[in-house]
Amino acid sequence: MKRKMFLGVLGLLGLFVFLTAAAAQDYPNKPIMLQVPYPAGGSTDVGARIVAAVAEKQFGQPVVVVNKPGAGGQLGWTELAKQKPDGYYLGMISMPHMLTAILDPERKSTFKAEDITPIISQALDPTTISVRPDSWKTMKELIDDAKKRPGQISAGIVGYLQDDEIGYLQFAEGAGVQLRLVYFDGAAPAITALLGKHVDVLFCTVGDNYNQWKAGKIRMLTIMDKERSKFYPDLQTTAELGYPTILSAATRGIGAPKGIPQPILKKIEDVFKKAMESKDHLDKLEGAAQPVKIMTGEEFNKYYWDSFNVAKKWVEYVRKK
Amino acid sequence: MEALQYWMQGFSVATLPINLMFALIGCVLGTLIGVLPGLGPAAGTAILIPITFNLDPIGAIIMLAAIYYGAMYGGTITSVLVNVPGEAASVITCFDGYQMAKQGRGGPALGIAAIGSFVGGTFATFALMVVSLPLASFALRFGPPEVFALLVVGLSLVTGLAGRSLLAALIMTFFGLLLAMIGMDPVRGAPRFTFGVQDLYDGVGFVPVVMGLFGVGEILVSMEQPVLEVIKTKLSDLFPKRKEWGISSAAIGRGTIIGFFLGLIPGIGAIIPTFLAYVVEKKVSKHPEKFGTGVIEGVASPETANNSYANAAMVPLLTLGIPGSPTLAVLMGAFIIHGLTPGPFLFKERPDVVWGLIASLYLGNVILLILNLPLVGLWAKLLEIRYQYLYPGILLFCILGAYSLNQSVFDVTMMVLFGIVGYVFRKLDWPLAPAILALILGPMMERSLRTSLEMSGGDLFIFFQRPISAVLLILAAAILVTSAIRLMPMWARKESKN
Amino acid sequence: MKRPWQIASLIFVFLSLFVLIHSFSYPYKDRLGPGPGFFPFWMSIITGLLSLGLFLQTTLGKSDPTEKSSFFPNREGGLRIVLILASLAMVVVFLNPLGFRVSLLLFLFFLPIFLGVRNWVVIPILAVAGSFGVFHVFYYWLKLPLPIGIFGI
Repeated sequence: MKRKMFLGVLGLLGLFVFLTAAAAQDYPNKPIMLQVPYPAGGSTDVGARIVAAVAEKQFGQPVVVVNKPGAGGQLGWTELAKQKPDGYYLGMISMPHMLTAILDPERKSTFKAEDITPIISQALDPTTISVRPDSWKTMKELIDDAKKRPGQISAGIVGYLQDDEIGYLQFAEGAGVQLRLVYFDGAAPAITALLGKHVDVLFCTVGDNYNQWKAGKIRMLTIMDKERSKFYPDLQTTAELGYPTILSAATRGIGAPKGIPQPILKKIEDVFKKAMESKDHLDKLEGAAQPVKIMTGEEFNKYYWDSFNVAKKWVEYVRKK
Repeated sequence: MEALQYWMQGFSVATLPINLMFALIGCVLGTLIGVLPGLGPAAGTAILIPITFNLDPIGAIIMLAAIYYGAMYGGTITSVLVNVPGEAASVITCFDGYQMAKQGRGGPALGIAAIGSFVGGTFATFALMVVSLPLASFALRFGPPEVFALLVVGLSLVTGLAGRSLLAALIMTFFGLLLAMIGMDPVRGAPRFTFGVQDLYDGVGFVPVVMGLFGVGEILVSMEQPVLEVIKTKLSDLFPKRKEWGISSAAIGRGTIIGFFLGLIPGIGAIIPTFLAYVVEKKVSKHPEKFGTGVIEGVASPETANNSYANAAMVPLLTLGIPGSPTLAVLMGAFIIHGLTPGPFLFKERPDVVWGLIASLYLGNVILLILNLPLVGLWAKLLEIRYQYLYPGILLFCILGAYSLNQSVFDVTMMVLFGIVGYVFRKLDWPLAPAILALILGPMMERSLRTSLEMSGGDLFIFFQRPISAVLLILAAAILVTSAIRLMPMWARKESKN
Repeated sequence: MKRPWQIASLIFVFLSLFVLIHSFSYPYKDRLGPGPGFFPFWMSIITGLLSLGLFLQTTLGKSDPTEKSSFFPNREGGLRIVLILASLAMVVVFLNPLGFRVSLLLFLFFLPIFLGVRNWVVIPILAVAGSFGVFHVFYYWLKLPLPIGIFGI
């Protein structure tokens, strides 16, 4: 009796493995949805469309970009977490945006960080401290000035409790200063505000300000990354300026609802990795001023949870005030 | 003059047969998209981006810009013929445009809209070429406090739409403001009034609400006494009457100026210029009470302002790389995908692209005019389909439009619910327009107020310390006070009736 | 129109009260100024006052004898309206389970019938074109996803 059961279970397992492997062979056999939780035209959307166009050639099935904007991305991610983990519904995820949406009790999110499986990252866009060309020349000058008049210098931030704010909080803690925060819900109004002299400092990412920098309208004091940016080779990092702990970036990638069978997951990872490494993709993303950074598997998973912990620290800090 | 040289270069690019073809295709596709209620130029443009992938950048941009244009005109068609605005910019056109269509004058309405759009767009395109940079820098001075003040002015103009009862109009305005509060608040991202309904996290959604209030609501009202005798439109009816040309021209002139200047301010949104143009037109008119019943200048003015605005909004996009509206953001995204990043650098690096685009905008205006004027008759004929087929057809497209916004049935539900609400308000004769306006302007107001206070550290005086916002706020107060005074006799009359 | 206006304005008074009460659950002030509760609080108070004002104005004023339209539609019109609303409700309910094609096929088939036409050639053609045809254009050509029901249609 026991032997029969044992054989039965073995058989079942074998069938299961065979079926999922077969499913992976079979995958994809219909179009794949790639959801973008932001309105069309933004940097995430652009990145998604570029990679979708390349990936669908390798998948042999269309990769359809679906916009589901709202609530700063929360609507899209909530929807993503609810989908069937069969590999046909993927979504663009952003860190720390998605993580703070989960962690901030006021956002009342209904999904958790473990409900989403991070698959592969596309871009890692570090935060910079940007100013107008005629103001502070170095970060030291800004810090000294800020110490003299705490809470008086206005600093623009894109998004509530997102990468730029975390960047500011790290800066404030690391340099021991306090600025007057002004929030904007997009890069465009934020840049406009800096150019129009409505704020004096702007925490924003490379993708946000590259254009204006090229035109000479914006200068940066530093970039919050471990290494120099290939877009701004002359810009000193926070580490070089003596503040190695001030690190912040907006990271975009592809995720899926948890529970995708391993073979299918691997296939998705492989195809998108090849797509992202292709010259077409690299060129187009660079043209859009998005620093490409491809992480997969364990590396991306670790990054995901590291970002989660950083976000957790800051969300609790802000909420306590 | 360097500009002239670029101008000529731009035209030489834009008139290449292949680029002309792209512009033509774009206009046609765009119009078709715009005709679909609810789909909206932004979504439509986004959908069509992949089509442009295999084209060279200039051709692709030309086509996309033409789609953008065409879609706007398509939105006008639905506003006039079925009272369903495709997006914010077309809302105001519904007021008089639809009334004209009901009287069998859909042709002249669409015709004057096409002409006005052409004039407004052309003027703006030329002005674009001349004044881009200096005006763009002026527009940068519009920060959050200025935007707030401008929005207050916008809302105060609601009194110009009062109609039967000032109180009812005000209640509807606040109804719109209250509706606008559903969803994540612009301050902390905390959901308000959502009662646990996830779909409401982003608010009720402007498009389903408007499609419901205006479109579905209108159909329900019509169902009470459906028109069995269809008014056949004669070809001669396709043009405005002789005496209307004069007043239309003046309206077009005013609309052009208003639209152009407001278009330079990044992020304002199309409803303010169209609304402002309409109200100004009403105020200078010799017969203000006729507005809303189908006066041609009530169509000419907002339509012209709309196109003038749309072209002018290209200025912040091309010179500063700042998109002034969701559709322009999509356009910018498309630029980027093709390796061209709009902004001051693009002017220097690829003047052929920029000036080619600008010249193509002008040509797009011409193409649209040529395309649409003859088609006006065709569109007007559509209204002659018997209502038992026409209305289900319209409802089909409303359902399609509402669903395709976010691939969500919830939006369709909202549309139907607001259809009922719209029906009720129509029967009560309470004006819908103030509610729509407030729904759009409300969140912008709250956000700009909040951001202004963040800038000033909590000090309300910031609005008066800055010259532009101070002037605008005083203007708003003046408008409110003069409207109240003028309507005093109405109050007095009501009192004396007792 | 007196009675309907009275009822409508009273409904708004109660709506304002409802919003007001709920606005207390959101913080009124923030460290920098108005919090999420600020606007709802004031908006609902103003709306309530305006609605009350309209109620009083309507109640105390005279009914206008030249008023021709009554609030409620006639029997025939009312029936049509109910039918259209019911059809729309059905579409909303069945759009996801049955999919776009089936739901709209039924909608476009029955609604003209409810409204009185009996053309058994045109109706089916239009119904199929509007449901399956439109689906094809949007799903396959424009790549816009439309609901597919549990039967895979």
